[in-house]
Amino acid sequence: MLRPLTLGPLMLCLCLATPAMADFPETLRQHILPGYAAFAVATADLAQAAQQDCDAVALRPAFQAAFDAWIGVQHLRFGPVEVDGRGLAIQFWPDPKGAGAKAQRGLLLDDAAALTPDHMAEQSVAARGLSGLERLLYPADPLPADPCALIRATAADLAQTAQTVNDAWLVGYAETLLTAGESGNTTYLTRPEARQALFTQVITALEFLQDQRLGRPLGTFDAPHPERAEARASGRSLVNIRLSLHSLRAMVATLSPDVPKTMAAFDHAIALAEALDDPVLAGVATAQGRLRVEILQQAVTALRDTALAELGPELDVGIGFNAADGD
Amino acid sequence: MSNRRLALFASTALAAATLSQPATAATPAEVVTTYADIAEAAYGDSLTAAIGLQGAVEALIAAPSEQSLAAARAAWIAARPSYQQTEVYRFGNAIVDDWEGRVNAWPLDEGLIDYVDPAYGQSEENALSALNVIATPHFTLSGAAVDASTITPELIAGTLQEAGGIEANVASGYHAIEFLLWGQDLNGTGPGAGSRPFSDFVQGDGCTGGNCDRRAAYLQAATTLLVADLTEMAGNWAEGGAARAPLEADPAAALAAMLTGMGSLSYGELAGQRMRLGLMLNDPEEEHDCFSDNTHNSQYYDGLGIQNVYLGHYIRADGSTVSGPSLSDLVAQADPAVDTRLKAELDASVAALAALKVAAEAGMAYDQMLAPGNAEGEALIMGGVEALVTQTASIQRAMLVLGLTAASFEGSESLDNPAAVFQ
Repeated sequence: MLRPLTLGPLMLCLCLATPAMADFPETLRQHILPGYAAFAVATADLAQAAQQDCDAVALRPAFQAAFDAWIGVQHLRFGPVEVDGRGLAIQFWPDPKGAGAKAQRGLLLDDAAALTPDHMAEQSVAARGLSGLERLLYPADPLPADPCALIRATAADLAQTAQTVNDAWLVGYAETLLTAGESGNTTYLTRPEARQALFTQVITALEFLQDQRLGRPLGTFDAPHPERAEARASGRSLVNIRLSLHSLRAMVATLSPDVPKTMAAFDHAIALAEALDDPVLAGVATAQGRLRVEILQQAVTALRDTALAELGPELDVGIGFNAADGD
Repeated sequence: MSNRRLALFASTALAAATLSQPATAATPAEVVTTYADIAEAAYGDSLTAAIGLQGAVEALIAAPSEQSLAAARAAWIAARPSYQQTEVYRFGNAIVDDWEGRVNAWPLDEGLIDYVDPAYGQSEENALSALNVIATPHFTLSGAAVDASTITPELIAGTLQEAGGIEANVASGYHAIEFLLWGQDLNGTGPGAGSRPFSDFVQGDGCTGGNCDRRAAYLQAATTLLVADLTEMAGNWAEGGAARAPLEADPAAALAAMLTGMGSLSYGELAGQRMRLGLMLNDPEEEHDCFSDNTHNSQYYDGLGIQNVYLGHYIRADGSTVSGPSLSDLVAQADPAVDTRLKAELDASVAALAALKVAAEAGMAYDQMLAPGNAEGEALIMGGVEALVTQTASIQRAMLVLGLTAASFEGSESLDNPAAVFQ
């Protein structure tokens, strides 16, 4: 007789590795919904931990776990996360003008009693979310005031946003996606439109990896910018790249069972990222270190091109318009 | 500006579909001609208005006064509607996108050009953000000495524009001129635009802000450059021009470029970068025309330009009309429901942007709408954003029914040079 409970997680893994079927409903059930649920739990844990003890060092593990969970879904820039700029409020990055630090400074000096979750929700997205918390939990310089109230308010606001997004998927948007092409669905008039939306997320996310997570610190050979790496203060620049590649690979596996070149390109990029020993990409400022990051970037570019050439036709869709089309 | 490129592929479905239409039906070639004719007219109107601005700037420099400054500002405002209606040509036409940064780059670190308020500070990402070229005839750029003792169009275009490879170093174009005419808007999300005094251009005694001769030279040089740049682009759309010819040579690819321009401007650029982001940051510096508080007009005419391309219809600055067979005709032939829906959605986005314009003209400037807690302003902006996002999905559908796909790529090294990937 089987021992079902203990085998549960293993069976789930097997299912993910070789889905019996693969199409956008599987992506929803196996990737999107579990991802947002995990993110809501992780941010709730962080908010609860902050209520109990807002010591920055003590909170760091919960912060790291919440960030890990976010990278599991960060590449999904459509649906509930696009409403009211929730995605930006969860993580505002890049922030080339330092808008977050500026806005947050005002809040730090405010009356702590004013820092209610509702008040936080009205603030600039640059001051909120994971980027806001990172500046409070890993400050580069001593903070101008006791951050405890702001840490609690920011963590509570983040958990609320994560919960709102998760709820919106569960009670509405999951249905919108699943009923693509059915009468009454005004968002996705056909099933291919739903596939195209997900395909566009994959390609856009790979471009974000290439241009932002890798491209910003790389800068140019003459002017590298290691200080522009994502989540540098919390030491997560490379972790985010690795987790993002893993998340995207898992998502693609749910979309189509038969894209061997794309999977091989994922594996190549993941192997390079795992082998890279440069947690905050500081090496971009040295000739040798730069080369390694550039090789990873080229692998991501190749992966994107492979996915465009193989996954798109496999799903029978082309790339759609996306939020990164602007300048 | 990013150099995001759009590679356009057209399937044979388009040709098959159009061949089967009755003789009176619009053809892709005719539709492309209308598109190019509108571009030629709109860039021509932009050039005419820029020449008007140049005259007003010369009058301001010759005799600075409240009146001559007001006239130059009015000429700048009058130069925007035609130009903004051309923005839809940028995405999808590489020749426009490559050039666009010279004339309409935004946002800018204006401290590169002239004096700024002490609160402006120094950008962490741009060492030149507070250079103040007008006050600095000699400086070092990337280790090399720069002689800026004479401010010329060549200095602005060749040395200052995107200096150090940093996009925020915007030295030329409408927004550099806007900054010189208005100065910084220090009112945050409160009422009021930039309030540079005319005396900033007074030569000799009475000069305020210092270096009035160099400020006048900068303004004159930047305006000269704008006229030259617009002359170039208007020429590109004339018969046989470098922008028009390749589109006419491949009408199916041109149709994809037209729809790509509509969708990219609607969604990523206008709804995303220019509207929603500023609202989410509550940041008045995130408005497109941040010195003059003319953002409502820039956004309205962007939206109108999108509609122009679809309907094949443009009202020129002199009131005359350019029109012809349109994308709408082609889409209606392929799938009337998609056409009807997209036309209605374009009407709705133009109406939403018009509502925003009306509110701004009635006294609630765009930067005031960005204030935290301004629910009415937020609703106006989000009304525009939602309408633009909605129409993007239909633009995508229009591509599909015409048998077109657009694939974006940028500097695709692995395609251009496969060996580079594994070096």
